[in-house]
Amino acid sequence: MEYVINGTDLRKRFKGFTLDIPRLQIPQGFATALIGENGAGKTTLMNLLAGIRLDYQGKIQYFRENAGIDDEGVRERIGYTGPGNYYLPHWTVNQVKEVNELLFQRFDPAVFKRLCRELAIPADPGKEVKTLSDGNRTKLMLAGVLARDTELLILEEPASPLDPLMRDKLCEMIREYLVSREGLRTVFFSTHNVADMENVTDYAIIMEQGCIVEQGFVEDLKEKYVLVKGEEQFARQAGPLLVSQTRSRMGFEGICLAERLDRLAGMQVAVEAPTLSQICVAVMKAHSRLQF
Amino acid sequence: MVLLQNSGVPIYQQIADQLKEEILSGKRKEGEYLPSIRGLARDLKISVITTMKAYELLAEEGLVTAVQGKGFYVNAQDSEMLREQHLRRVEDALGEAIRAARIAGLSNQELTETLQALLDVQKTE
Repeated sequence: MEYVINGTDLRKRFKGFTLDIPRLQIPQGFATALIGENGAGKTTLMNLLAGIRLDYQGKIQYFRENAGIDDEGVRERIGYTGPGNYYLPHWTVNQVKEVNELLFQRFDPAVFKRLCRELAIPADPGKEVKTLSDGNRTKLMLAGVLARDTELLILEEPASPLDPLMRDKLCEMIREYLVSREGLRTVFFSTHNVADMENVTDYAIIMEQGCIVEQGFVEDLKEKYVLVKGEEQFARQAGPLLVSQTRSRMGFEGICLAERLDRLAGMQVAVEAPTLSQICVAVMKAHSRLQF
Repeated sequence: MVLLQNSGVPIYQQIADQLKEEILSGKRKEGEYLPSIRGLARDLKISVITTMKAYELLAEEGLVTAVQGKGFYVNAQDSEMLREQHLRRVEDALGEAIRAARIAGLSNQELTETLQALLDVQKTE
C-alpha cells in the first residue's frame, strides 16, 4: 500500500484543545473521509494538510518523494477547496480563472469553462464571488481544482453547502477523478454527510477531541462491527457489551464489536450489517462529551 | 449488473456472484480482463474498496488472477474446477434438503426415496 500523505507526531495546541495525531496515513488511489463531531479537530487537521497552517509540531510528507508542502512541485499536484474565503469576495468568475492560470501551471481554462457550464455556475463572467450562494461558491472552487491536473484533492466539507442533486454529482465527480489515472489519484475530504458520501468512501478516519479514535477501509470496518437489535428485557444486560446503545420502551439497538458478539448469546438479538453512518455515530457517541 | 441495496447480501458479494456466473457460463472468456476496479466502481456508483473486495473474492476462488498495474483477467476454467464448482452447488442444495427433512422429521430412508422419486419423474418427463 502506498500513501500520499504520511504524518508523524502531529500536534497543535489551542486553549482548551489539543490536536494529537501520532501517525496519519492517507492511502493512495482511494477516497478517504474524515468524520467527527463539531470541534473534533477536523478543520485544524485539514488546514495542516493543505498547508494553510504551518505553526504545528510534527512532520507531514507528501507523495512517494516524501516532500514537504513548501515544495512547489507538491503544491502543483494538490487541489484544495474549503469553506473559507479562498477566492477573495470581490473577484469575478473570470478573475478566478485568471488567478488560477497565474498560480498553477497545469490549470486548463477550457476545462474550467466546461466545468462551470456543467455545474450550472452563473455564466456572467463579471459576477463577483461574494454574490454567489454558498453552494455556487463551492461549485466554483470544485471547478477550479478539477480544471487542474492534480494527484491529490483535499476537500473540506464539500458536501455541506450542496443540495441533494449536487451531492450526487459531487460523488460522481470524485469517482471520475479516481478513474482517470487508475490508482494514482487520491481524494481526502471531511464531511458530516456520511450517508450521502458513503458510496464514495473507501477509507474512513473518525476523530474525537483532537485524536483519531477509529480508522480503516470501510469494508473492514463493516466486518469489525455489527448492528444488533433486541428486546427491552435484555437492554441493561447487553449495554456494557456494546460500543454504544440506544434504548426505548420497545427495545434496544446498538453497535457491537463482531468479536464480542458471542457474549450476547442467549439475549435473542437480531444481527445486521451496519452502514458506515451507523458505525460512525456509535464510535463518536462512545467518545463524545455530549450526553444522551 | 443489478445490485440491490437492501437485500441483506453485501454489495461486494452481489458483484462477485454475478461475475462468477458470467465466468462459469463462459460469457467472460479466458484471458479477458475484467473492467478496471475504479471504472466498475464509477459505473455501479459504489466505492472503489467494495469493487476491490469483490475482485479479491474472485481471485481467492481462483476464477481470476491479479496482474500488478494491469488489473484482473479471467483464468482458464479447467473442467476439473468447473465440475468442482458445480458439485459444491449440488452439495449445498442437498444440504438444504437434508435440513428441511430433519425439520419435517423424515427418515434417511424416506429422504432418499423422495430423491429417487424425483429422479424417476425427471426421467419420464
